[in-house]
Amino acid sequence: MIDSSFDRRDFLKVMGWGGAAVALSGCGNTSIEDGKETVVSYVEAADYVIPGVSVYYNSTCAQCDAGCNINGRVREGRVLKLEGNAASGINRGKMCGLGQAGVQHHYNPDRVREPLLRNGDRGEAIAWDKAYALIAEKLNGVSGDEVAFLSGGVSGHLKVLLGNYLESLGSKNHFVYEAVSPAVVRAANKKAYGNEMPRFSINKAKVVLSFGADFLGSWVSPVHFSQQYAQFRKGVNGQRGVLVQVESKMTLTGANADRWLVVRPGTEGVLALGIINALGASGVALSGDAAAASQGYDKARVTSETGVSAEHLDKLVALLKERTPSLVLAGSAAEGYAHGSQNAAAINLLNQVLGNVGKTIEAPAVLPFPQMAPAKGSSLALKSLNEGLAAGKYKVLFTYGANPVFTAPGSMKFKDSMGKAAFKVAFAHYLDETALQADLVLPLDSALEDWGTQVPEYLADGAQINIQQPLMEKLHPETRGMGDVLLALIKQRQADAYKGFEDYYSYLRSALLQNKGALGGGGSDDDTFWDATLTSGIIKLAGAAGTLSASSAAGLKLPEAAAADAQFPMHLIPSVTANLRDGRHANQPWLQESPDPLTTIVWDSWVEIHPKKAAQMGIVEGDIVEVASKTGTIKAQAYLFPGIHPDAVSIPLGRGHEAMGRYAKGFGVNPFQILDAVYDQETGELAMHETRVKISKVGQRVIVVKDEGVIGGKQDGRRIALSKTTDQVKLSEEI
Amino acid sequence: MKDIREDIAWAKINKDVLVSLENPRKMYWVIVFSALALFSVGVGCEVYQYNVGMGVANLNNPNVWGLYIATFIFWIGMSHSGTLLSAILHLMHADWRKPIYRFAEAMTTFSLMTAGLFVMVHIGRLWQFYYAFPYPSERWVWPNFQSPLLWDAMAIFTYLSSSVLFLYVGMIPDLAICRDNLHEGWRKKLYTFLALGWEGTDRQWRNFRITYLTIACFLIPLAVSVHSIVASDFAMSQQPGWHVTSFPPYFVAGALYSGCAAIITLFIILRYVFKFEDYMTKSILKKTVRLTFAIAMVWTYLNAVEFAAVWYGHDVDAKQVLIQKATGPFAPFWWGMIFCGSVLPLILAFKRFQTNIPVLFAVSLLLNLGMWLERWMIVAPTFSHGYYPWVWDNDQWPSLVQWGMVMGSFGWFTLLFMIFCKVFPSVSMYEVKEMVYHRSLHLKKDETAEQGAH
Amino acid sequence: MSVGTLLENWSEFRHFHPVDDKPHDPYKWAMSIDLDTCTGCNACSVACYAENNIPVVGKEKFQHGQQMHWMRIERYWSEDDREFPDQGAQFLPMMCQQCEAAPCETVCPVGATNHTADGLNSQIYNRCIGSRYCSANCPFKVRYFNWYDYPTVDNVWPAEMTRQLNPDVSVRGKGVMEKCTFCVQRLRAVEVTAKSEGRIVREGEVQTACQQACPSSAISFGNLVDPESRVHKQWAAQQVVLEADEQEKNKEHGTSELRGYRILEELRPYPSVMYLEQVRESAV
Ligand SMILES: Nc1nc2c(c(=O)[nH]1)N[C@H]1C(S)=C(S)[C@@H](COP(=O)(O)OP(=O)(O)OC[C@H]3O[C@@H](n4cnc5c(=O)[nH]c(N)nc54)[C@H](O)[C@@H]3O)O[C@H]1N2
Ligand SMILES: Nc1nc2c(c(=O)[nH]1)N[C@H]1C(S)=C(S)[C@@H](COP(=O)(O)OP(=O)(O)OC[C@H]3O[C@@H](n4cnc5c(=O)[nH]c(N)nc54)[C@H](O)[C@@H]3O)O[C@H]1N2
Ligand code: SF4
Ligand code: SF4
Ligand code: SF4
Ligand code: SF4
Ligand code: SF4
Repeated sequence: MIDSSFDRRDFLKVMGWGGAAVALSGCGNTSIEDGKETVVSYVEAADYVIPGVSVYYNSTCAQCDAGCNINGRVREGRVLKLEGNAASGINRGKMCGLGQAGVQHHYNPDRVREPLLRNGDRGEAIAWDKAYALIAEKLNGVSGDEVAFLSGGVSGHLKVLLGNYLESLGSKNHFVYEAVSPAVVRAANKKAYGNEMPRFSINKAKVVLSFGADFLGSWVSPVHFSQQYAQFRKGVNGQRGVLVQVESKMTLTGANADRWLVVRPGTEGVLALGIINALGASGVALSGDAAAASQGYDKARVTSETGVSAEHLDKLVALLKERTPSLVLAGSAAEGYAHGSQNAAAINLLNQVLGNVGKTIEAPAVLPFPQMAPAKGSSLALKSLNEGLAAGKYKVLFTYGANPVFTAPGSMKFKDSMGKAAFKVAFAHYLDETALQADLVLPLDSALEDWGTQVPEYLADGAQINIQQPLMEKLHPETRGMGDVLLALIKQRQADAYKGFEDYYSYLRSALLQNKGALGGGGSDDDTFWDATLTSGIIKLAGAAGTLSASSAAGLKLPEAAAADAQFPMHLIPSVTANLRDGRHANQPWLQESPDPLTTIVWDSWVEIHPKKAAQMGIVEGDIVEVASKTGTIKAQAYLFPGIHPDAVSIPLGRGHEAMGRYAKGFGVNPFQILDAVYDQETGELAMHETRVKISKVGQRVIVVKDEGVIGGKQDGRRIALSKTTDQVKLSEEI
Repeated sequence: MKDIREDIAWAKINKDVLVSLENPRKMYWVIVFSALALFSVGVGCEVYQYNVGMGVANLNNPNVWGLYIATFIFWIGMSHSGTLLSAILHLMHADWRKPIYRFAEAMTTFSLMTAGLFVMVHIGRLWQFYYAFPYPSERWVWPNFQSPLLWDAMAIFTYLSSSVLFLYVGMIPDLAICRDNLHEGWRKKLYTFLALGWEGTDRQWRNFRITYLTIACFLIPLAVSVHSIVASDFAMSQQPGWHVTSFPPYFVAGALYSGCAAIITLFIILRYVFKFEDYMTKSILKKTVRLTFAIAMVWTYLNAVEFAAVWYGHDVDAKQVLIQKATGPFAPFWWGMIFCGSVLPLILAFKRFQTNIPVLFAVSLLLNLGMWLERWMIVAPTFSHGYYPWVWDNDQWPSLVQWGMVMGSFGWFTLLFMIFCKVFPSVSMYEVKEMVYHRSLHLKKDETAEQGAH
Repeated sequence: MSVGTLLENWSEFRHFHPVDDKPHDPYKWAMSIDLDTCTGCNACSVACYAENNIPVVGKEKFQHGQQMHWMRIERYWSEDDREFPDQGAQFLPMMCQQCEAAPCETVCPVGATNHTADGLNSQIYNRCIGSRYCSANCPFKVRYFNWYDYPTVDNVWPAEMTRQLNPDVSVRGKGVMEKCTFCVQRLRAVEVTAKSEGRIVREGEVQTACQQACPSSAISFGNLVDPESRVHKQWAAQQVVLEADEQEKNKEHGTSELRGYRILEELRPYPSVMYLEQVRESAV
């Protein structure tokens, strides 16, 4: 990857100093990027800049937690484009659109550029040392129990450092919050397989039956799964893999299914048990638990409760029986209910019945350094933080990598609770909704100018530590890396212990070098190891293989279907889209303008309604509809979408920002705001799909801004996008 | 019916016509200032579009062409009647053309100039328009001789220069009259210069006749080819609804049609404004109306041929475009075109309307509206309903900027035309004299014959 | 400057491909896209924005149909009036098909869009006068016009964002036409390197940005005349012949078990992109 004529070591030196030089001098004007004032001649260019020649650096994508390894193209000191690192077992040189947009996170014009201190309604720029001093002052006399730190999922050395910092404060209050995370499924997996995230080998399966797991779009490690999916479709096992997707609102994965089965919202578990029951009836041996759990879920009951036709059920059962191994996935649609845990357990049980465990569900690698393993986010964490804040328990609140004011369910009234903390510090890239509530906002480096290590939750290809390194010098002199900030803060408490580390870079370097042996650099000297590590961007670890241990599914029982709510008759499905996820990247224009794959809508939110339902209600495309839950009301344009259960409406998450920047603010609506406070009964996680709503026409109509033309997705009989069935093709003869 | 009086004195002809250069009715100024206002609107729109970008016209992908191209064809079409009336009727010795051919020729010239403007406002990089000409370039970069648009550029340029020449040459004897009759001033200098020393000698007349005839002969095939080439812009592309063999004659017919209708409109206006009632007589109007009616029927026939060919052909896509024209969002305009273009002219078949000035004025305007709609219906629907369904888009509506420029073009044309009529004799004095002379000869002959009978 | 040079020059002007006397040598860039593995994820489209300096036009202009995405992902539903799309949707990435007899080329009055010897439909921004005739004549409607001067439009490329722009690709000003180039800047770079090393570009040496990003590797790209290239093998295996306007295998309608096809082939633009039909399981 590295151009051989180019002195890598010097560059690293420069980059290593870069962080420090800026931190010390605060001038940072060594960059040709600041060239408006000063023309810097290439005659004296930095030695890593060869005019007209691109250099490539490996790093890690920070746009989501999948931890894809990336390869950044840099020219004249500017990062231009991100590609996948071909040596990565996670993404194998590939990248999703969200990941591509990482450069727009970096170059975003709305980034916070200097520390801001609240002064009434305004933020006033202050110097970093003042900001640090202020934090020290505010922490003075505050007990550790009164300090709370809210973060998104963190891993690697940052997690270690953060833990140490909180320890130094005497605080145990680290709340790891992810607004959209497979928390319930993790718990169910832990029970069923002994692991929260086993490895799912889609490529080894002949049939994938997914209950609302959008693994091609937004679920867990979409780029990795897409690679596997391609192999699965090509039939590496000699037969083209069959994908059956069960859900109430079509996801991207559902749109790629051979059979998309629409179910009544929340009945995923019923269908899973029904399939187990039918498999048992067709001669598949069932364990006692499975037999007990599926008892009574006969075809008649299942078809009537789920809405899946008997014909489809029969075909599916026959297929699962005939083509093994298969793989059954429990996704966010299945887990989003008050009985989400039971749904997920029933679905996982199906894997056991089908004998998939150990074949397509494999033990994950074990990270030899558990302290670096990711702290997994959940919504339960936010719930407890909120309760504490509301009760006035916390005087000082730190937020990092999360935007709870935007993503907390409306029923939680998080903004009000947050107001009760006396001093709130937001480590932020943008002035998002949460940062706006803070008393002090500290501007962070982008992922493309910062150092770090990261461990993905889903270890697709054995244990690995991902390296994040600056691809270019800082754009803004007054931003800091999160590691540097934590280091500075921890030095306030334990100056001696950390005095050896000038900056986070040196901390990281020595931390990794200390473990050189365990990290596979046994034979080489420090510099060689370090260079090799940074060059590859991935530390592949020979970790021990984990084990799978199935526990019993005894006692698995689905609750009776909830009675219909006459006042709020419809289900609200907040959908997670591949590009916008929980909305933290909404200020990246490529993502706003990249059409939603299913509706092709851009720059706005929409309410998906089944055409049949819409016809009943007299709703046509573009009608503004009011979606009201017990918690709140939002209004958005209607889009008639065939891939949704007629009793449900769906609104995508991620839009509807009231702050954050020019590309995010004012586009669309935020469905988090109207989510009811319903929780999964076992795990206490927010049941995202349990909100019931009523919809009504407001009487306005807008033109839906979308890519598809006036006849929607029709080809009008022309031969544009063609399709064949498996009996019409000879895939085995293809290249 | 009142026709040009055979006994009208030559001096009176001169006087009547020259008076039009001095004091027209007040209506003249009303028209001139309205035209100026309209033109300014168009200029404003263009300045805005030039600065901000073509996007303000509300064009898009796939609707890349809009009213500009439609109106461009309209004005090109308009230009044809001048050539028809002047050159063809000249060759056919139809003497009733004589009082009206001058303004028809002016119309040709000005509508070509107006059409040219639309090419300019249509292209995205107006400042590079000359790339479309085969000018000698040191880089050996030539335009693409395969492109009908290039033929177009060259054909229009040729047609425009020939038309100007034709208009000018035909005016020389009259310019001399102006020179000899007008008081001192800038105009006299202008006429002196332009009259090229015309004395009316035998030799001058002989040369004049030959030159005029030659240009007329040259102009007729040119006119036909120009509009055929404009038709080729469409017919030679492969868009459904455009890829039609009959487009060239269809375009030519449409051109003559709108031109004739415009002649009727302008005839009525000039007749009133410049008090030309003695020259632009109802009998001439009637002949023009009949000609218009005939062309309307030819156009209707060609329309029917096109629809039938599409309907019974095997081109599904073209057929869909036709159906969409008749039933889709463009339907009101398309049926409006059929009504204005094929139904309305039936009125002209009735004798009593053939000289009814208010009716003819209204009808001629509506015929032109129909012809403008025809051009729009040729251009727009195939874009919104082409080969590729994903991009079908008929939601886009031309923005006010486009409409503003269309309006502006009418202002511009009217302005040029009105100024021309005030500066140059819009009725050919020498030809009217000729006409009167020939008619009086006939009269004399008839009288002699009558006398002989007795 | 004479008529002689004009004519001589003119005879050289247009490369018609495929023709017998001018075979593609040594390159003919071509693509194949497997609709069975394409998931419709849009990563390719975003990658194309990143690589090719495509402006983000914003909501209002998008509403007016003025979006600039060189690669668009079309989503089709089955049209048999079923209540639910229970066999999913169908996605189709559509960009310039780099037609061999490109309808856009012949009509351009100024020769701003041309065929290159390596089989691309090129676009010379500096030469384009913005007549949009090419777009009118492109059956696929994949040409995008700069309706505005995007570099100076608010928030298209605010100060910092300009630094992301790829210096190998022109930033287009108002009034010119643009479209997918098959990432010609990447092709030229490797062609030049290969030439200086006295060889031709090897399979796998160059990827288009969309191909490189595509998470499911649905896009193959390469040199069609190189028998070692994946596209060559795929086209051959699918019996799709570049210079045919109706493939032999399709003569008997609907009998072929091969999935390869070209869109609107019957109009004879000779597209350089082959699509492989989507597949759906018949047993479920
Ligand atoms: N091989 C080869 N050689 C060529 C040519 C070729 O095609 N091939 N082309 C020739 C031609 S046509 C030309 S014009 C020359 C160009 O040759 P040069 O004039 O050398 O042009 P550049 O190298 O583009 O720019 C010179 C320097 O100006 C700096 N600069 C930019 N803006 C400013 C400013 O505002 N003030 C100051 N002081 N400096 C500034 C740039 O950073 C750069 O270092 O090259 C010629 N040489
Ligand atoms: N990105 C970028 N753009 C620039 C510049 C830059 O530094 N960077 N520099 C700018 C400057 S200073 C200049 S001067 C221009 C140069 O811009 P161009 O004039 O476009 O430069 P070239 O590419 O050198 O030459 C143009 C063509 O001329 C052909 N040619 C060579 N010799 C002859 C000949 O004898 N006869 C004919 N007919 N053709 C011939 C070449 O093959 C080539 O295709 O570019 C400007 N644009
Ligand atoms: S899946 Fe996540 S980590 Fe991977 S490229 Fe996309 S955004 Fe980046
Ligand atoms: S797809 Fe359209 S733009 Fe591309 S070469 Fe063919 S006709 Fe031209
Ligand atoms: S828009 Fe440009 S490339 Fe297209 S035809 Fe016109 S001048 Fe040629
Ligand atoms: S080949 Fe290049 S230019 Fe064409 S769509 Fe792909 S990325 Fe865009
Ligand atoms: S990136 Fe690949 S899978 Fe995604 S839409 Fe593009 S071609 Fe299809």
